[in-house]
Amino acid sequence: MTKQIELSGVNKYYGAFHALKNIELSIEKGTFVALVGPSGCGKSTLLRSLAGLETISSGDLKIAGELMNNVPPRKRDIAMVFQSYALYPHMTVEQNLTYSLRIRGVPKAEAKKAAEEVAATTGLSQLLGRYPRELSGGQRQRVAMSRAIIRHPKAFLFDEPLSNLDAALRVHMRKEIRALHDRLGATSVYVTHDQIEAMTMADHVVVMKDGVIEQQGAPLELYDRPANKFVAGFIGSPAMNFVPATVGEDGRSLAVDVGEKQTILLDRQLEPGRAVIAGLRPEHLHFVEPGQGVFRLPVGVVETTGSATYITTSTAAEVTIVEISRRAVKTGDIIDVSVRPADVHIFDEKTGLRI
Amino acid sequence: MKRLLSSVRDGRGFDIVLVAFPLGFLFLMAGLPLLYNVLMSFQEVDMFSLGTFLRPFVGFKNYTDLFAQPETWPILGNTAIFVIGSIAGQFLIGFGLALFFWVNFPGASWLRGLFLVSWVMPGLVVGAIWNWILSGDFGVLNFILKESGIISGNIFWRSDPNYSLYAVIMANVWLGTAFNMILLSVGLASIPGDLYEAAELDGANAWQRFWTITLPMMRSTIGAIIALGLIFTLQQFDLFAAITSGGPNNSSNVTQYWAWDLSFRQYDFAKGATISVIMIVFVMFAAIVYVRSTRHEVRG
Repeated sequence: MTKQIELSGVNKYYGAFHALKNIELSIEKGTFVALVGPSGCGKSTLLRSLAGLETISSGDLKIAGELMNNVPPRKRDIAMVFQSYALYPHMTVEQNLTYSLRIRGVPKAEAKKAAEEVAATTGLSQLLGRYPRELSGGQRQRVAMSRAIIRHPKAFLFDEPLSNLDAALRVHMRKEIRALHDRLGATSVYVTHDQIEAMTMADHVVVMKDGVIEQQGAPLELYDRPANKFVAGFIGSPAMNFVPATVGEDGRSLAVDVGEKQTILLDRQLEPGRAVIAGLRPEHLHFVEPGQGVFRLPVGVVETTGSATYITTSTAAEVTIVEISRRAVKTGDIIDVSVRPADVHIFDEKTGLRI
Repeated sequence: MKRLLSSVRDGRGFDIVLVAFPLGFLFLMAGLPLLYNVLMSFQEVDMFSLGTFLRPFVGFKNYTDLFAQPETWPILGNTAIFVIGSIAGQFLIGFGLALFFWVNFPGASWLRGLFLVSWVMPGLVVGAIWNWILSGDFGVLNFILKESGIISGNIFWRSDPNYSLYAVIMANVWLGTAFNMILLSVGLASIPGDLYEAAELDGANAWQRFWTITLPMMRSTIGAIIALGLIFTLQQFDLFAAITSGGPNNSSNVTQYWAWDLSFRQYDFAKGATISVIMIVFVMFAAIVYVRSTRHEVRG
């Protein structure tokens, strides 16, 4: 596997503001990488730095093995799909697609042929003569992607490309982008604030916060073994429950502070008496017969979606439970819930790091 | 009666009143004088028939007489040079400044606003300033040109028939540049920044971005500013009155100044009206270009 994009020790300052902090990231050829994090975490800055629209303050940025720190965007051979699509409004779809070819002096007939080929794969053949203002949101999105594809660039960059589409179209385009990536054997970097987009589309997810990479890895790795409380809370929906807890005398049980203190067993040995935070995913909490569970919890709010029922408890530290059995539950009921010891995530109370 | 009253207060009657009022105003204050001007160009007007409304009809006699005069074609030529020279100067310098301030260095918008000073000044004041600058014996323009070695002797800008028209063009370019710059700045500001980023990633250098993004996106603004420029330069009167009075020997005379001169100094109202009618044709053309170019605005 060759490294298509390599970042080492990359920092970016805007005046005194430290936007990217010591970024280490290497992307192999053909992988789909998602940069995900809350607004202002630096994911867009990182993407724009890859494109060359921002210059990095220090560190090394390599694309296909070449140092690109001070190379202008037009010489980086990278294509980007913008959140606003940034289609040229005064050009038809065909002219939009062939713009980069015409700039490079590709003969007209050849450019036209390339546009027709790409349009055929993205379903734009009938729309080549239209102007962007005459297209729907989904069609514009396709034009923006086709404009990137036609160049056969070294990498594709996506800056929240689906955020202007409605929910149904978003789910559809998610699959389409991923399928396109696989067909082209492309290297893609995809910025999103939506962890579901990141989890479903990417081979490699990079979670960022405040300019720092909190954790990176395969989607399930992040889900199963979040490195810290932030990643644990960010990945997975509904979000993980965090409850204060204390390790028991024997070091193999956890006194959890929900409502009345309740005890859950652990699958590992910890220092007795240590104050920690227990992370419990809503989908890992299951209903059991009365007396069989580790928790007895009063029901606060019940939300039904049809496929699953979301139950929020009325305890001080609220706990959310996702239940797929259709057992009738109503506000005020007391339910018995259990969790497998392997499904209990434990984080340090102060640092938030995984224990 | 009651129904009519309620219709005027809230209904079709109200709409009609709203339309009728400005239409009536326009007809009375602009339409009638314009039509009367056209009518007058087909009449024989002298000092004794000035007070009457219907005067002897002479057909196209005023027009044929006008074009038989030896100074007519040179003055029309001067007008063309004045319009083209002024618009070209105002547009090119204005566009250059707009692009310069577009870089958005600290204080750019503040300085850009300051440029409007030249535009808000009355034409007669601008004329007076340029009279000093252009002065043959002690003018600063001659001083600069001489010191930089471009000319060896003084040029008498206002009284030399070879230069008098260009003296007024210079003053008019100075007067109109700021307005061009402001309108073009607005046009530039309305181009989304991500288009340039997309074009940059598509491989376009600065020059290519200017030709393929900036200029096409500015098409309607440019059409509007040139049409407005044609209208404004054909209206420019004060500078001629202040700087050359159309002289010497009509060398800097243009139609708008000549029309006034014929009507109100030589009392040949028919000829004055005739020139005005010819100008109306050009201004109407510019107005149509202006309306069309602002209607066809490109929106993403």
